[in-house]
Amino acid sequence: MIEARGLVKRYGATAAVNDLSFTIRPGLVTGFLGPNGAGKTTTMRLILGLDYPSAGTVTVNGKPYAQLPDPMHQVGALLDAGAVHGGRTARSHLLALAQTNGISRRRVDEVLGLVGLTDVAGKRTKGFSLGMRQRLGIAAALLGDPQILMFDEPVNGLDPEGILWIRNLMKSLAAEGRTVLVSSHLMSEMEYTADHLLVIGRGRLIADSSMAEFIARGSGQGVLVRTPQPDALSRVVAARGGTFSPADGGEFEIHGLTEEHVSDLAFAHGIRLYQLVATRVSLEHAFMELTADSVEYRAEPAGDPS
Amino acid sequence: MTSLTIAAHSSNRPAARPGRGVALRRTIRSEFTKIRSVRSPYWTLFVLVLASVAWCVAYCLGTVHSWPTMSAPDRASFDGAQDSVLGLALLGQLVIVVLGALMITSEYSTGMIRTSLTVMPRRGTLYAAKAAVFAAVSLVVSFATSFGSYFLGRTLLSSTHVSMSLSQPGVLRSVVVAALYVEVCGLFAVGVGALVRSTAGALTLAFAFLMLLPQLLRALPDFLHHALMRWVPGGDALNVMTSTKGGPMQYMFSAWGELAVFAGYAAILLVLGAVQFSRRDA
Repeated sequence: MIEARGLVKRYGATAAVNDLSFTIRPGLVTGFLGPNGAGKTTTMRLILGLDYPSAGTVTVNGKPYAQLPDPMHQVGALLDAGAVHGGRTARSHLLALAQTNGISRRRVDEVLGLVGLTDVAGKRTKGFSLGMRQRLGIAAALLGDPQILMFDEPVNGLDPEGILWIRNLMKSLAAEGRTVLVSSHLMSEMEYTADHLLVIGRGRLIADSSMAEFIARGSGQGVLVRTPQPDALSRVVAARGGTFSPADGGEFEIHGLTEEHVSDLAFAHGIRLYQLVATRVSLEHAFMELTADSVEYRAEPAGDPS
Repeated sequence: MTSLTIAAHSSNRPAARPGRGVALRRTIRSEFTKIRSVRSPYWTLFVLVLASVAWCVAYCLGTVHSWPTMSAPDRASFDGAQDSVLGLALLGQLVIVVLGALMITSEYSTGMIRTSLTVMPRRGTLYAAKAAVFAAVSLVVSFATSFGSYFLGRTLLSSTHVSMSLSQPGVLRSVVVAALYVEVCGLFAVGVGALVRSTAGALTLAFAFLMLLPQLLRALPDFLHHALMRWVPGGDALNVMTSTKGGPMQYMFSAWGELAVFAGYAAILLVLGAVQFSRRDA
């Protein structure tokens, strides 16, 4: 259980995190979403006590992180896979971390096996690829066998195999009943893993809801059609309370009616349809709509004449 | 990979919640693992030993060579013990500050500090463990180097029949104070490292204090220079701390007094470093 109440972090005049309150409930994979610069990493640093809040509080299992006895047994975190001394071997790195919490050498070898780094355990980490570093960071997070795990952008920069591995790992962790907080700026990544979503933009909470609710909050279901008689179809759809609007590639989008309904209407009025597709609004789309106002840096359209 | 079993097979959960003492002891073990698992401490300490020994050999052999032509007063004022250990104090101080500063700054430059503080969020405990491990390692090395240089010098100078046994007045003090001075300089650098966090910044400050400050002071009028000399590092302080001949110099404290001055500086910097280490965002 992680609880934030009125969390604020200011850097000079800008607030990276602005009055954030949330509860990360146990036993769920919570996706922590937001555009780049939304304050996800800062929030995670505040949870771990690496940064001090300008206002508000955040507790882990009811206590500020710094007051947890042997925190590795309660929380495992991977914020930045590069946060290791490259001159140290993987095993020595993990051993040094383990010793602070009284964790045995045997467990160090165990987690090395778990993440598939046993063969390179004696190698200095500066020669590691990003994927190997990510595995090392995950090994460190798992050392204390914690109930809560936090990962900041864990798939960033990984190859497809690495991404798949991380996804499977998170599913396994969740299946074991652990609490997982995973941040990403990619909505699509969340579709595979998250049960619950926490969406922030410009340091503020935009949404705190289950995955299903979040999708439902978007513009809902739609039907995509291709027809040589758009005017006729438009009229009958409007008559039944649906909306009819042109979409890309000469297609038209209908909202407010199911695909069966549209098909029946077209048949009844003798309107020909070349194509009829039900579209589920993607998570990606819902996310973009919700955070459109809170993207910190936005590219101007290319070729702007001014 | 179909499924993973993440749970620990080995039982590693401590039975009781650790108190402060347990946490400190464990963190000291961790810091010791850290210092012995990277190369830079070995190199740094090797350079320290090499520089000290080279100084000792060069001065002692030089003296042996010119001994037959030296005048009686020159022979009388020759300080074999000082010449043996001065290299450690003079050169060793410059090397040990590198190791001391790196103890803290290497964690910031690599980002390792975020990992270290995540597993040991009690910042005071982590800082104390770092300082303690550095102090222990550097103490062993500086004492070994100090006594090693002394015995080496005594062997090299045996043909001159200069008396420099440890039971001579001031000889043991000279050997011990040289080692402790190096230790104190290293702890000073640990504090500076925690204060500024960057290796370049910490070394610039430490070298400026140890080398630049005494040079700048020479530009002051004599009365000011004399009034301040006892408070600053440089040749006079090192001379007093390692000399076995004569009483204290007119404008200086005794050997132990000078050491205490530098221990005071180190203590101040260690405290300032601790405050920064604890209060600033990592």
